[in-house]
Amino acid sequence: MALNRRTLLKTGAALTAASMAPGIVRAEGAHWRVAASLPMTGPFATAGQLVAPAFSEFEQQVNDNGGIGGKPIRVEVADSGYIPRNALANFQRAQAAGDLHFYYGDSTGFMELVGPTLTGDNAVMMGSTSFASALSDPANRPYQFMAGPTYEDQFEILLRDIANKGGKTVAFVYSDTEFGRDPIEHGRQVAAELGIDVVLEEVTRAEGADIENHVTKLAQANPEYTILQGYVTGVWPQLIGGARAFGLTTQFMGTFWGMEKIIADRVTEQAGPFLDGYQGVMPYRYFYDQDEAPFYQELGAFKRSVNPGFSGYVTAWELEGRLCLELWKLCMERVIEADKEVTPDNLMAELGSIRNWDSGGFFGAPVDVVDNKIGQGRVYRYDAETRLYNPVSDWIQV
Amino acid sequence: MGQFIQYIINGVISGSILALIALGIVAVFKATKVVNFAHGHLILFGAYFYFTFSVVLADAPFMPAWVSSWEPAWLIAYAGDAPMFSPRAAIASWVSDLPRILLGLVGALAANAVLALIIERLIMRPLLGQSAFAMILSTVGLIWVLEGSAGLIWTAEAEQVPALGPNFPIRFQLFDQNLFLFSGSLVNLLVALLLFASLMLVLRYTRSGVAIRATAEDQSTAYAMGINVPRVFSTAWLVASTTGAVAGAILASRNGLSPAIGLFGLSVLAVVLMGGLDSFAGVLIASMLVGILSSMAQWKLGGGVAEIVPYVAVLVVILIRPHGFMGQEEIERI
Repeated sequence: MALNRRTLLKTGAALTAASMAPGIVRAEGAHWRVAASLPMTGPFATAGQLVAPAFSEFEQQVNDNGGIGGKPIRVEVADSGYIPRNALANFQRAQAAGDLHFYYGDSTGFMELVGPTLTGDNAVMMGSTSFASALSDPANRPYQFMAGPTYEDQFEILLRDIANKGGKTVAFVYSDTEFGRDPIEHGRQVAAELGIDVVLEEVTRAEGADIENHVTKLAQANPEYTILQGYVTGVWPQLIGGARAFGLTTQFMGTFWGMEKIIADRVTEQAGPFLDGYQGVMPYRYFYDQDEAPFYQELGAFKRSVNPGFSGYVTAWELEGRLCLELWKLCMERVIEADKEVTPDNLMAELGSIRNWDSGGFFGAPVDVVDNKIGQGRVYRYDAETRLYNPVSDWIQV
Repeated sequence: MGQFIQYIINGVISGSILALIALGIVAVFKATKVVNFAHGHLILFGAYFYFTFSVVLADAPFMPAWVSSWEPAWLIAYAGDAPMFSPRAAIASWVSDLPRILLGLVGALAANAVLALIIERLIMRPLLGQSAFAMILSTVGLIWVLEGSAGLIWTAEAEQVPALGPNFPIRFQLFDQNLFLFSGSLVNLLVALLLFASLMLVLRYTRSGVAIRATAEDQSTAYAMGINVPRVFSTAWLVASTTGAVAGAILASRNGLSPAIGLFGLSVLAVVLMGGLDSFAGVLIASMLVGILSSMAQWKLGGGVAEIVPYVAVLVVILIRPHGFMGQEEIERI
């Protein structure tokens, strides 16, 4: 055979590929791969940067303890800027780089976008920051789950708490976003069942809302309770401040993303203690409530060991990310123990079979995973003097 | 009737802030014939500068403690144990914050002025003599430059900044109806109207005002008459940036500081078109009208629709009067 230049190049390329292939195969098989998109820049950069340690520390802790089923894990985090198409591109890159065993998304938008593509070989077990009700749908979204109650569930927990306390009137104030609108229809139904009158439904901008008009409408409706939905760091503090300045006594309540202690503390620091008494639903214990939370104690000790300057507080946002990872790890261990193949279907089947699980303190009572979610939460109240959210209800199951 | 008046009051307050924003767009257009699409983002920078000076710098460890919180004995005695949001507590809290508010305002005015001069010298002036279209497009490009830069310099999280005035509810009766407004909003209204009126007086009665008006009429003739046209351009950008800084501080203290301020400022362009690009009086009327319409729509139709209604009105006005309420019709000689 004549060895011309083209043949030489082809042969060289083939030999190189053949010699590297076993290495690639070994690399794929050597780790369980976890990837995530987080908003390290953009409107929720602070949230993304606060959640990020959950991933690096999970990797270190799991690998220090021998990995999962004797195999180490590898965690890759990419910035999405809170743009769903960026997160989708991150996900596709992670998939193209080899076997992917878990993915963590950064938003409802991304989860909606990627959901329909998770079929066949593209299927991956997937958690996220989102509590959107549409994601709790095993029939249509068999690979997506959430580590807590949906926004609808959270609304229901609040409305049940209001009913338990004899409340008769409520206002729903929500941002003009998918996030804001998510639980409103369900909230109307539950309120009607519980005999609570929804005296106002007020839509606001997600940022830069016209506080004066919203406060005027709240004053006219004069609800005993006002539930806020669809905000993270903005609008809700200004609205509560405006209402309090006006002299409204309505009890404000929020859901998961409006319940972070560091945000309430920052508002108190910058604008005064008017958030005192603000309540809301939180699926998890706050990190400072460690007496019955061995996992929190262990996590705190680990954080202190790797970072002597650790403040002692872990945000609820980070805890949510960590819980998603812990649920995946639990499913992995159960699948491996059962000597089954690690596939998204087997992992999700294990997730769906979780009953009476002791989470180590995230939740106040053992929990079940039903419809790819955990329907438990508790109502907390912010104390501006101690800067703590304190529980004002038992753990409520929905 | 009472509710109607209440929403008129709310609308006038919103309208005054729109007018303050619109002021900068008209000032630049009158002098340079350039519609500054990036004005909202100049306001955004003004808001972030106000935050930087009044919160970040004021609380910095190297600053004297009185800048962060000025609490002389007489002020503590005055505040006593007044409940939060009572007029006395609000005034005491505002006086205590005065050093940081002043630092914030002075810093924001100066920093925004420097920013505007840089933009004018580096981007706009080299385009002098080019078509107005090229200059307008460069302001569109500036939006992304400013937005990206803001994202790099500051986090995009919503922050709290001190209000320009004490904030407590003022309750009063009008036509036998109980009405209210926040004192902080009243201060914002007064500041906005005062700035608006001052600028109109400056344009009418000062040499630089006359120079701006002459340049607006005809740049070539203004040159021929010995007017320093590039300086007029700089002055117009200075006016836009400094009024924008005040607007930014007001918006940040009223609605919270977030990148949404830039987009809000951009939306005011529609109000300016409604009033007339080159008419201060026209944009004042349009701002009040849009403010009141927004407020009424919020009252009667709710949030989602309230966002659209005022801009439908803008479109209708532009269809009927393409040059706005009081804009000068351009006559092209062929």
